[in-house]
Amino acid sequence: MTVTYLTRAATRGHYAARRRSFIAHRSLPSVDTKARFADQILPYLQDAYGLARALTGNRTDAEDVVQDACLRAYRSLDRVTVINARAWLLTIVHNTAFTWLAKNRPRTIVAVSDLEAVERAHACHDLAAAETPEASLIARADGAQLEAAIAELPAQFRETLVLRDVQGLDYREIAAITGVPIGTVMSRLARARDRIATTLRRTMS
Amino acid sequence: MTDLPSMQDDLVLLHAYLDGELDAAAGLEMERRLAADPALAAERDRIEAVRAVLRERLPRETPSPELRARIERAVGLAPGSEPPPLRPSVHPSWSLLAASIAATAVVASLATSHLVAPPRADAGAVLSSHVRALMAPQPVDVASSERHTVKPWFNGRVVEAPRVVNLAASGFPLAGGRIDVIDGRPAPALVYTRRQHVISLIAVAVPGRADAAPARETAAGYNILRWTERGVGYWAISDLNAKELDEFVQLFRTAPADG
Repeated sequence: MTVTYLTRAATRGHYAARRRSFIAHRSLPSVDTKARFADQILPYLQDAYGLARALTGNRTDAEDVVQDACLRAYRSLDRVTVINARAWLLTIVHNTAFTWLAKNRPRTIVAVSDLEAVERAHACHDLAAAETPEASLIARADGAQLEAAIAELPAQFRETLVLRDVQGLDYREIAAITGVPIGTVMSRLARARDRIATTLRRTMS
Repeated sequence: MTDLPSMQDDLVLLHAYLDGELDAAAGLEMERRLAADPALAAERDRIEAVRAVLRERLPRETPSPELRARIERAVGLAPGSEPPPLRPSVHPSWSLLAASIAATAVVASLATSHLVAPPRADAGAVLSSHVRALMAPQPVDVASSERHTVKPWFNGRVVEAPRVVNLAASGFPLAGGRIDVIDGRPAPALVYTRRQHVISLIAVAVPGRADAAPARETAAGYNILRWTERGVGYWAISDLNAKELDEFVQLFRTAPADG
């Protein structure tokens, strides 16, 4: 339960700061909210689904999270001017998904302090292991092996990896969406790729 | 005895370098170390391999069409609910897609709409950009000698990413890229170096203009070469001597197209 509380508090604490980066509060009279929703939010449904799928681990729950996130976006839309709609929607998906995880899969969320310990442990372990996989081995991985390797990552690592290597966001956007400093994005990404490589070596040899 | 924490920092920086997220100084330092340290270079190859398989082999799952319909119903956008004003068509997907593309083009990127009309570059504007870049803490926004890092960086920032080749083997290493503003419009600029000299190569789309061989100008002590090739106007500017700048332009034009 401590785990849940920590994560939710962290999520909420960063939310106000993030809102400022991707939206501005409207001073002009609102045009039709539905049209704006269709124009600005719906084009990013695929990205939203990709992130929700990575975090929930299955299609049905991912679609529920995306629907919930889209409704939240819709309800906020007449109060704000969206500057970066994709990042804003992904921020809402992140919040919705972690709330969902805390409620439905509390064990998959690792507390922030534990996560750092895990990162340190893995860092030392990975560097100590001389048998790092060769690039040529990694290059032979197929889709199913990659999916399995990604599924083994802690949720926060998986999220960072998907936002960068699948959706192509830059570090600053990922930091804002996930509510962590850029340095944390960097170390999570490094660890996530490292662990993908290590898992591929284990499953492919 | 290897210091684990500092090695750990190196690896994190290596990832950031490959993602085009390091500044010029850190990027050059990383390149120096990659050249000197075979273990670090092997790590780079592994990271690149992971990035490549994720990009190329990971299946992309799309949401079911039903999800979009559910969301549209929930906000009252679906056919049969009250008629949405900007969408006369019965089929939601295509008209929404078209509307979203239009909105994205207009709202999301001023750069895109500006580039519809090609910039009218002149030597003065190119000179200003180059000198301004030299005065900044670093002449590049993305620092990398890796053309596979520099070229994607331009995507999404300018309509068309410029042709990027690395001429390091000929003594003109690629230092990175930046976006210049020429005549009020964004234009991609590649930055090469020769000894202590910085060369800015600015590419401006000039659709329909006939090819033209390099012509030399000078402005405020800088040598400028301009030419047109396949609808792109190029400007090379540097305080490098005219002979070596000629050589650079010759190499750039004859280098094989990037993959």
